Amino acid sequence: MSTDAKQALQIANRRRWRRTVVRHSILIGWGLIIMFPIFWMIQTSFKDAHEWVTWPPHWVPQDPTLKNYEQIFTFDVQQSGVAREATEQPFNIWGAVADSLIICTTSALIALFMGAFLAYGISRFNVGGGKFRHSVLIIRMIPPIVIAIPLLMYYAIMVPLASETVLGFRLSLFDTQFGMSLLYITITLPFVIWMMLSFIDEVPYTLEHAARIMGAGRLYTLRRVVLPLVASGMVVTFLFVFILNWAEFLLSLTLTHPDVSTLPVLLNKFQSASEGRLYGPQAAIGTVITIPVVVLGVLIQKHLIKGFSFGTIRK
Amino acid sequence: MTESTTLAASVHRNGLLSRLSAWFSQERVFRWIPFVMVEGMFILILIIPFALTIYISFLRWRANRPFEQAYLSGLRNYESVIADSGFWDSLGRTFYFAGAAVVFELIIGFFLALMVHQITRGRRFYITILLIPMMVVPVVAGYNFSMIYLDSGPLNQILAPGLNLFDINPRIRWLSNPIAAQWAIILADIWQWTSLTFLIFLSGFSALPPQLINAARVMGASRRQTFFWVELPLLKPAIVIAVVIRSMEALKMFDPVVLLTFGGPGTSTQTVAYYLWEQVWQFNKYSFGAAASIMLLIIFSVLIFFGIYLIGRQGKAIERGEA
Repeated sequence: MSTDAKQALQIANRRRWRRTVVRHSILIGWGLIIMFPIFWMIQTSFKDAHEWVTWPPHWVPQDPTLKNYEQIFTFDVQQSGVAREATEQPFNIWGAVADSLIICTTSALIALFMGAFLAYGISRFNVGGGKFRHSVLIIRMIPPIVIAIPLLMYYAIMVPLASETVLGFRLSLFDTQFGMSLLYITITLPFVIWMMLSFIDEVPYTLEHAARIMGAGRLYTLRRVVLPLVASGMVVTFLFVFILNWAEFLLSLTLTHPDVSTLPVLLNKFQSASEGRLYGPQAAIGTVITIPVVVLGVLIQKHLIKGFSFGTIRK
Repeated sequence: MTESTTLAASVHRNGLLSRLSAWFSQERVFRWIPFVMVEGMFILILIIPFALTIYISFLRWRANRPFEQAYLSGLRNYESVIADSGFWDSLGRTFYFAGAAVVFELIIGFFLALMVHQITRGRRFYITILLIPMMVVPVVAGYNFSMIYLDSGPLNQILAPGLNLFDINPRIRWLSNPIAAQWAIILADIWQWTSLTFLIFLSGFSALPPQLINAARVMGASRRQTFFWVELPLLKPAIVIAVVIRSMEALKMFDPVVLLTFGGPGTSTQTVAYYLWEQVWQFNKYSFGAAASIMLLIIFSVLIFFGIYLIGRQGKAIERGEA
């Protein structure tokens, strides 16, 4: 090799090396920007009341404490020492945790069942016509405030009035776990149908056909042939819908007060009080909300990358 | 085995039940069961409330009076919505927020996806980190940013050395200045949703057919030419989808507004969702809210159909084998 060629190769190598370094440093920089707010929340959750707001702010709690977690997880809210500020009401998050878990889990399960069933019908028999596949997503695009205003009047006024005249007793869906679950099922169904469609479309129909010819019943075929093949897809869909419900804020803010309260609503409750803002417990609640969802999200990440191609991946 | 046969026999003995189950297991009935269930759900929870809302939007009624006393008042509510400058201002503001946020999200997301696509080492690690904001509950993200924008928060601390040079008090109240508050919300949105555009672009990049790019390179196209003339056209569907999905989501913006500013200072950060929420839940203007939400639905449905049309066109182009 001549010296010229060697030199050119060296320059090219150096340039490639420089490019790699630039790329990595930009990615690391953005990663730091991403992690910073989360880091700040987590470290605030370990600060005691006198450290919540200081100038200059402490980047690491100087005397780390678990008091914030103690406060939000305490069972006995009457216990002295739980409320640390004069303006503060003693509270715990168990009610909100239970409401959130019950509402999100049941609605995700029921939506998964109904949606997967319908997705099967659409995929195999073209139920609802060819356009139905895409048009279900329209529901997802309607802004939630437009749904919230009718639903408030429906849940709080119309359903009680109707049930009183028809059934003879007052049935209210407003501020109940049942009402919230119904709503969450409805608004997540488009997503379930759409995600399950992409999983069911991949299962070849010939398999079912073979099973049916060999004498298996329709439900038996569904259970023993189709279900095992789409089970992982169903788990991903369930987790995705669960995350969506878990993060939902506007509808639960408007349709629940004061009996039922999901975790985002509880976190927001302490945001508006201009004097008695509970920075520390809020940070602890935020950490408690965030960690399970981030873990679930990382678990289904691979499938999300596939799912978010929106059919742009060519086969 | 015996148990199931006796069960089957008992079903056969019961005439009505067996006829019913036979009717249900007919092919043409069976395939419509899930459809009827789901459509029933939509009708019960979405269609009926909307019908009621249309009725209420013609009433003259506030929630602090009993519903029975309300009376019809024609199109008065619609007139007052159209004449209401707050509604149109907040609508314009929503488009401004969404536009600014989506442009930044697309640009940053595109370049991040490009970089992750080009590096070889640590790709999984970067993807995991960069996708985290999407998983964070929006309310928590809003709370985090409210901590950062605090007058004694870390943002002011980082800026303090620079501000001290100009003799400015570094403890700036970002959320008390209208323009700073607007950009605080836009920044929070960019922080959270750049990960979604990143994800869409990343799956677009990983779906690029390497044969085409190699062919272009072999035929003598430079790296830049390959990028602009081969890769970018192939990425068009991903770009369209990112634009449509993100704009639709950004126009719903509500959570960061509540968490960061409560629409303030003044009305400078009220999005249309927040404005309607305030009108209905703070001022009990129910029939006004009903009329406004019907109008908003009409405005949005135009956008939604346009967005669906754009996505559908891309889908058809892919099916035809173009890009």
